[in-house]
Amino acid sequence: MTRRYVRLSTTLAITLTTALSVTACGDDSEPSSGGGPADPDAPVTISVSNMPTTEFPEQREAFERRLDEFAADHENITVEAQEIEWEADTFQAMLAGGTMPTVMQVPFTEIGALISRGQVADVTDHLGETDALDRLSPTVMEVVTDGEDRVWGVPIAAYTMGLLYNRSLFEQAGLDPDAPPQTWDDVRAAAQAIDAGTDAQGFATMTLDNTGGWILTTMSYAFGSTLESDDGGTATVDNPATESVLDFYRSLRWDDDAMGSNFLLNYDDAVNAFASGQVGMLVQGADNYSNMVVNRGMPAEDFGVAPLPQADDGIGTLGGGTIAVVNPRATPEEIAAALEWIDFYHFQKYTDETVAVANAEASAADGLAIGAPELPVVDAELYAQYLDWIAAEVNVPRENFELYLSTVEEVPLIPEPAVKAQELYATLDTVVQAVLTREDADIAQLLGDAQSTHQAAIDAG
Amino acid sequence: MVALDTEPRAPVRTGTARRRRTPVTWVRGGGLTTLLFFLPLLLSFTLFSWWPIARSLVLSLQQTNFIVTEWVGLENFQRVLADPLLGTAVWNTTVFTLIALLIGFPVPLLLAVFVAELRRTRGLASVLAYLPVVIPPVVAVLLWKTFYRPDDAGLFNTVLGRVGLGPFQWLNSGDMVIPAIVVQATWASFGTAVIIYLAALMTIRTELYESAEIDGAGVVRRFWHVTLPQLRGILLIMLLLQLIGTFQVFTEPYIMTGGGPENRSLTVLLLIYRYAFVSGDYGRATALSLLLALALGVLSAAYLWATRRWSSS
Repeated sequence: MTRRYVRLSTTLAITLTTALSVTACGDDSEPSSGGGPADPDAPVTISVSNMPTTEFPEQREAFERRLDEFAADHENITVEAQEIEWEADTFQAMLAGGTMPTVMQVPFTEIGALISRGQVADVTDHLGETDALDRLSPTVMEVVTDGEDRVWGVPIAAYTMGLLYNRSLFEQAGLDPDAPPQTWDDVRAAAQAIDAGTDAQGFATMTLDNTGGWILTTMSYAFGSTLESDDGGTATVDNPATESVLDFYRSLRWDDDAMGSNFLLNYDDAVNAFASGQVGMLVQGADNYSNMVVNRGMPAEDFGVAPLPQADDGIGTLGGGTIAVVNPRATPEEIAAALEWIDFYHFQKYTDETVAVANAEASAADGLAIGAPELPVVDAELYAQYLDWIAAEVNVPRENFELYLSTVEEVPLIPEPAVKAQELYATLDTVVQAVLTREDADIAQLLGDAQSTHQAAIDAG
Repeated sequence: MVALDTEPRAPVRTGTARRRRTPVTWVRGGGLTTLLFFLPLLLSFTLFSWWPIARSLVLSLQQTNFIVTEWVGLENFQRVLADPLLGTAVWNTTVFTLIALLIGFPVPLLLAVFVAELRRTRGLASVLAYLPVVIPPVVAVLLWKTFYRPDDAGLFNTVLGRVGLGPFQWLNSGDMVIPAIVVQATWASFGTAVIIYLAALMTIRTELYESAEIDGAGVVRRFWHVTLPQLRGILLIMLLLQLIGTFQVFTEPYIMTGGGPENRSLTVLLLIYRYAFVSGDYGRATALSLLLALALGVLSAAYLWATRRWSSS
């Protein structure tokens, strides 16, 4: 009896230990209110993320130089730099353990959830203390502003979703790489041509880790609908535009057989396939030049990017980018100091030629791309001036992105779904997977189910 | 956690009164040294196992963003049980566990019996059987992901194509995805079971086989009447460990399929992961973790109760 009891307890202990793999240790201290007045001269220490790693020595040196310059300008502020970068898996643990840096860079896709969970500081009242806000592009600021006009971060880099295409595959397929597709019919025709004329597949879309839903949302905007009402209270997943997108996928997949054979693609799978010339076209962030060319070895002359084609009812495109947010536990003094730093480090290059040139030189020396397509986070005039300053350092073939660059400001930027965007994307992943893996998938039924699933998620609060 | 239901027994003394235990006698008896040696174990278990378990219990009753925490009672459990994906995940995990038992349980045993019969090459055979375990899991899973490529260029489709089969959709097919993952998982882990069975086989006395042989038993009957009964203790515990292990399958579907296609390979642990790291909802994640632990605990208890006759030899 004893032996059995011991064995049972041991088993239970093992089970408990292994099953409870998701846990966290927390420090539940109350947050300080971010709204109070800050004493601008009080000594304060802040920590900042994303210090360039030793892999990029020139950038690191430039970063350290900027740290020194900042220290000279702001005697009361001590900045501690950390190499930490955003990871969905570690962010919560950092927050729980109290090790989240005062200033942290997070992607656009996460900001909605962070705001709704109250995991970033409200910086509205401190924006007036720096010049940053005046120079920021209002389109981009919308991403960090909630329904009550409170601001929860500062966008420091942005892009719009566009149509990436492989210029070399276009040529091989007898298409003109300088005249990328501008309608979805053009995209389909180009996909067929690439599939027939090259070893690559014409078109690809991601399907895993919420990326399938993310791209389906982007495409739905281009075909004419959002997936939630503006206030986020009602799911509008079941709409004609999204149905058209899925029908477009279905045609490319089952009628044209132009989407290859693997339909479980995550972000890395898709960008690797594109960078290695196995995919003709991909809907992705238009800022992918560095990712494809510098990180993944795609020949620079092969990388093409076009604006996201818009159907007749198209309402725009989704944006992406990086936002500097502030630790929700920061004191008013720390928030003020954090914004000083963000202003100094990320925005001075738009107003100070020496800084702009020095930054660009350091990045170029580390082999990074200068002048790659992006959506300006500051107004057009400032951005043009900045481009002018760094013209000598530009090391990317900007002539290949002509159409994108000339129209980037014309395609309206539509924000992500306001409520539970990541949950919506997860639900839509399965819809996209169904259409691509089952020829008999019932699109109307799938959208109906996704509609009720997402409405239930919204209602659950 | 491990509890003994008997009091420590004092040595039986005749003629003298039982001496009382005091801190002094405890120290003289080497208690301090024992404690010193025990301390690292105690600390690491407390820090890395018991404390997180206790925290999970607490978290499962809370709604938290790690800044403001609110007690919500059993709401997290209600929300988990109301999630339509829970049924899908439990079903997939059960199917995975059953297929894994069907393939993963007999294969290592038969292989171990086979290896035990080898004379000169036994060492080499054990090394070869154990080799997949040495490969880091993520590397092995990624390798198999490319083997399972659904086009003609995938390894399995190329090989099967030679004999006129396929190409198969493997991970892209809702019906094939779980069996495909089971095959990979079995390949990756059967080496450990083979080694354990092999060790157990070595302890079976050869006289048993000799007398069975004299009685006219063939290979199959010797396996059935000698090997299996002699291994039953280890078989029972291995079965339980495999049950608990496979029910918590995570790495393979996480890396190979992300739960797809259409959630056909979504497992309970993957759902827990999504709650925690996609939705940032640690309350729900810990609630489901506790439910899983509870289910496995009940399952283990039932298993031990049902097999109590066989295990107490």
